[in-house]
Amino acid sequence: MRVPRGWRLPAGAAALSAAGYALVHLSTEGSLGALVGTALLLAATVLAGRPIAVQAVRSLAVRIVGIDLLVTVAAIGAVVIGEFWEAAAVTTLFAIGKALEGATFDRTRSALADLVRSAPDKAVVVRDGRQVEVPASQVRVGETVVVMHGEKVPVDGVVLSGTGAVDESSITGESVPAEKTGGENVYAGTIAVSGLLRVRVTGVGADTTLARIVHRVEEAQDAKGRTQRFMDRFAKVYTPAIMALSLGAGLVTGNVELALTLLVIGCPGALVISVPVSVVAGIGRAARDGVLVKGGETLESLARVKVVALDKTGTITRGRPKVQQVESVDDTASAADVLRYAALAESGSSHPLARPVLDAAEEAGVLPTGVEVTAETVPGKGIVARWKGREIVVGSPRFAAEVASGVGSAGRSHSDPSEQAPAGPSDQALARATSVATQMAENGRTPLVVLVDGRPLGVIGVADQVRRGAADVIAALHDLGIQRVTMLTGDAEPVAKAVAREVGIDDVNAGLLPDDKLAAVAALREDGRAVAMVGDGVNDAPAIATADVGIAMGAAGSAVAVETADVALMADDLARLPHAIRLARRTAANLRQNVVFAVATVVLLLVGVILGGVTMSLGMLVHEASVLIVVANGMRLLRPVAGA
Amino acid sequence: MATTVTTTTDTKTVLRAAGLSCPSCIAKIEKQVGRLVGVSSVQVKFNSGRIEIQHDPAKASVDSLVKAVADAGYRAEPSPF
Repeated sequence: MRVPRGWRLPAGAAALSAAGYALVHLSTEGSLGALVGTALLLAATVLAGRPIAVQAVRSLAVRIVGIDLLVTVAAIGAVVIGEFWEAAAVTTLFAIGKALEGATFDRTRSALADLVRSAPDKAVVVRDGRQVEVPASQVRVGETVVVMHGEKVPVDGVVLSGTGAVDESSITGESVPAEKTGGENVYAGTIAVSGLLRVRVTGVGADTTLARIVHRVEEAQDAKGRTQRFMDRFAKVYTPAIMALSLGAGLVTGNVELALTLLVIGCPGALVISVPVSVVAGIGRAARDGVLVKGGETLESLARVKVVALDKTGTITRGRPKVQQVESVDDTASAADVLRYAALAESGSSHPLARPVLDAAEEAGVLPTGVEVTAETVPGKGIVARWKGREIVVGSPRFAAEVASGVGSAGRSHSDPSEQAPAGPSDQALARATSVATQMAENGRTPLVVLVDGRPLGVIGVADQVRRGAADVIAALHDLGIQRVTMLTGDAEPVAKAVAREVGIDDVNAGLLPDDKLAAVAALREDGRAVAMVGDGVNDAPAIATADVGIAMGAAGSAVAVETADVALMADDLARLPHAIRLARRTAANLRQNVVFAVATVVLLLVGVILGGVTMSLGMLVHEASVLIVVANGMRLLRPVAGA
Repeated sequence: MATTVTTTTDTKTVLRAAGLSCPSCIAKIEKQVGRLVGVSSVQVKFNSGRIEIQHDPAKASVDSLVKAVADAGYRAEPSPF
């Protein structure tokens, strides 16, 4: 049988100990067998103890009293008082424990190691018209790289040409490859599974999303939360206290064995690693699923969240509004006319709803080209444009009413011969427009009333599309015991309410400016429940910063979001939200189990030693076993969670 | 008065240690590495197993850093970031 390196020494010591123990106990005292047995036990002690003693001396040289020293003193002491079996057992168990701990603790760090490993090492770059292979770190920003299928994307960049599917699971946790074409972002460390892409380089090496994730995960794992700081303090007091107790007990009672046993259990072991194993494994698991968490403390806060506030645009909805409905309120104008006038007015506008109107006009074939329009935006109300001496207004129903009443009930007939509108009271058209607009709003559409020369022509209903699966996500949040899910939006209340109804959200805070969102989050926090705020991390950054847990969604494309949000969901997928909460709760529970177990073990050992019954070897066995149990419990977090 | 021109070109090297399992070993590694000539600072992050070292590569090579960590009882490798 081959024993892997690193295990030869503990295995050898264990074999010697076992043989020695058997011989000593099977032979009569003073016989040759017993003598050989004792020699074997001594050999085991020396074999297992030598490296421990070496480390103890090295530590002492840099003035550190470490565990190695405690174990060395205990083992030498045991030999001196003739407890050879105890000496062999303590050193052997310690050696076995060390070997196991190193291997298993590294497993809890494996998620991070996988991320580091996914870093690209070579790139094919186009220089002087030729493709040359260079180390990925030597590619320069602005250059063009070629990514063939089966290869790692070497840099962050924008696709110039070509199409291909890219497996982005290392970044987003999303296992289905994403189709990439011109203009789309690709990330270093992802894998092109098909196609051929030419990519303009925007980031290399440390300035890539992958590097930022690695950095972020490490910082998160190293950030010591309240619990870890408490345990560290506890351990710092515990070890010297036990050493003093050992010395005191030895001097007072003269019981050297008791003093040595206390030294053995003075190692802080499970105490100091109970929190790190859970935090490192939990944060690592989350990172694999595309959920970046700022630290153990954030995980604990996220696990406690009772109220979730969601931004509407870009979070619940896709952030791409579209014209859903066009209604004429003037018998002489068709829906296409309404759209054409609206497009005329919007053609010079940067209003957020200009794009969908222009897109719809283009689709309907009524997009005006090469026209001269002067347009003026009235903030929060709409847009007033002039075209061939006519005034076109596109705006909210309230603005429309102001404009229409401003010209009086006498009305103004259209002077364009192609439009032969009958002169009639504009009141009637306004009433129709208002009623159509109200109905649209109740159906979740933002109404835009189109007026020509003060006369309502028609109403256009624009709506953002609700994300697929949004309703399931809200239901999942409720199932997780989230008491309140609220929506924050700058949209008008009827529109917001319609969306909220569609996805099952409890309450709505509509008509908010960015600062109002911040105030709304602060108000939610007032009754003491932990509040999470979810948004895109850019427009709603103040509100996100105010919440107990700020969550940025679709963060892969935003360096700022990755670095600032408490939790960054790398994929643009709302379903990651309940998943993140589940992960957080699992980690928080695991951490609590570990802390309780570690403290209970220490207390039991101490009581056991003082009352008698716990020997040096038993103390070491329990100590090492408790360390391994804590690590094994932490490793459970690495398993994928259901519903990922 | 004699003037000596010294060019200190400190760089940051990140090593990743394997088998780091007891937080008390942090001090041991920090002191072993910190003793080297040319090392201006060293910080061991236990949870992530990272060792961050500020050093002058002309006086303390990356290999010598790895060796110092080995003397403290741990295997470590340089990492790109």
